[in-house]
Amino acid sequence: MPHELIKPSRLALPPEANILRTLIAIQASDGYVPLETLPDIAARLGVTEADVAGVLTYYPDLRTTPPGRHVVRVCMGESCMANHCPAVLHAIEAYVRLKSGEKDGNTFTIEKVYCVGNCAVSPTVVVDQDVHGRVQPLEVPALLERYR
Amino acid sequence: MTIARLYLSNDTSSKAAGADRLAKLLEEPTDVQLVRTSSRGAFYLEPMIERDAPSGRVAWTNITEADLEHVLAGQGGVSIDSIPYLTRQTRVTFANFGITEPLALDEYQSRGGFKGLEAALAMAPEAIIQELKVSRLRGRGGAAFPVWSKWEAARQTDADQKYVVVNADEGDAGTYCDRMVMEGDPFRLIEGILICAHAIGAAKGYIYCRQEYPAAARVMRAAIQKADEAELLELDGRTFSIEVVLGAGSYVCGEETALLESLEGRRGIVRAKPPYPAVSGLYQRPTIVSNVLTFATLPSVLARGGAWYASLGTEGSRGTIALQIGGRVKQPGLVEVPFGMTLRQVLEEFGGGMAEGAKCKAVQVGGPLGSLFPESKLDIPICYDAFANAGAILGHGGIVVYDDSTDMVDLARHFMAFTSDESCGKCTPCRIGSVRSRELLELIQRGGAQASDLALLADLGDTMKATSLCALGGRAPYPVMTAMEHFAKEFSSKLMRQS
Repeated sequence: MPHELIKPSRLALPPEANILRTLIAIQASDGYVPLETLPDIAARLGVTEADVAGVLTYYPDLRTTPPGRHVVRVCMGESCMANHCPAVLHAIEAYVRLKSGEKDGNTFTIEKVYCVGNCAVSPTVVVDQDVHGRVQPLEVPALLERYR
Repeated sequence: MTIARLYLSNDTSSKAAGADRLAKLLEEPTDVQLVRTSSRGAFYLEPMIERDAPSGRVAWTNITEADLEHVLAGQGGVSIDSIPYLTRQTRVTFANFGITEPLALDEYQSRGGFKGLEAALAMAPEAIIQELKVSRLRGRGGAAFPVWSKWEAARQTDADQKYVVVNADEGDAGTYCDRMVMEGDPFRLIEGILICAHAIGAAKGYIYCRQEYPAAARVMRAAIQKADEAELLELDGRTFSIEVVLGAGSYVCGEETALLESLEGRRGIVRAKPPYPAVSGLYQRPTIVSNVLTFATLPSVLARGGAWYASLGTEGSRGTIALQIGGRVKQPGLVEVPFGMTLRQVLEEFGGGMAEGAKCKAVQVGGPLGSLFPESKLDIPICYDAFANAGAILGHGGIVVYDDSTDMVDLARHFMAFTSDESCGKCTPCRIGSVRSRELLELIQRGGAQASDLALLADLGDTMKATSLCALGGRAPYPVMTAMEHFAKEFSSKLMRQS
């Protein structure tokens, strides 16, 4: 069916076949989107695997591997930069490196985030859903210790 | 037994400053009733607890657990009306902040809520658009496009379906007023959406909220449900449905056409314009995409009239602007003032000067794509025209102050690395230009660059400005170019010595 091939994919996608919302829902329940599920997702949505892979790899928050028990996101936004967030990031990396030899080495996944809107009480560290403000590098071990 | 009514903000930043710890301690005393309000935006004073007093509210600021006994005993505290940071503001869109409980619909209504919608429903759609024309309201997301003009285009386009889409993808670092509106006064946003829907004849609304704002999404969903139960979503004979949809961390999805692509479930890639979304937007239907703050401003404009709104501000910039002060200042927080104050005035009168021991080096206005101002150029009036003339943008009203320990080459590299990470890849100038610019900045940083590399960087910047498809590529060179212009020595001192 040659006309099918040249049809723009946007017209072929009915509103309900929403790839992004499907992937977000999978990640919300499973913590990540396993790559081996792509064919199944594509089939269920009536789109190609390439469509699904394209969306999955485009959005920074979608992951294809399981995260640690706690996700630590360090804000790299401008207000946090002005308040020296790189020092906070280094402190977090140092803490996690120090603890990674222990048996709960996959406790923390560290990520950078560009602004969580907490600029007035920066620098900011988000652990799971908890937003911590005015975080100083020296306070990092005590802060993360609460989540182990 | 007298019950002491205490007020404590439930805003994300208030919690990040320690509000929840205090709330937990206040669960125990039986003679305390704790009300979790929105935040006044004076975050430098938080955590802050307020109590009713005969003369109005009294506040205890920057409190720790040890201070709670004074609060409970009613000793000390300062009158809210004596805090210049708050009294000097003109609160229109943020009039309820710090006062009401976000999800208390009755409180919203008793303070004038839904009066704007009431007025709009009594008017013909054309008359509403005319009222907006009189108000001279411009979109608050960054592009500052006249609101009435978009609405007229959407109104006049025939279609089986029209949409209202709230851009709540507040991605500009240094801004948080949209988050505050959604967390703190959600019914105001709903009211604004309904006014727009009535004016253009839409039957469905979406709030595209960034994933980084889980509390905002939660409050909005709860508010939509409450409004629905109160039958406030009944519009022109049917129920207007509003859905909150989450993003997944892509900055460029704040650009309206990329947002629509993302809302349709695809990669958030920018569309070429025209057609503009007002004519062909979501699923190719006429769609109004506007920022949270724009919608939140509508109720006041309709309730008090376009002429009243236009009486505030300057010639080309009417009304108020929500500024968000951050970085190395003494008093970071949200400030709503009429357009026209200078940047220096705002930083001195509200920002309170620099943080302890810090010296001002540069001020960035308008997020990661905003231009940098050196200390000597701060006497610029805060309005669209003055900023456009200076090659700068107000953007979404974020102001970030950097101190003298800031390495400007490293900061410029940080900005360009951000753009190269976030570029959607559709147009070549942005996709390749941002990567090459970042590489050049890294080369300068390593001490491996020559003077010709600075010229190349400037040339790349000019190309990106002139030929990018959207504002991401078109604006990305500005912070870098202004850093090079105002702090030229820092760049030249890192060049390779010519032998």
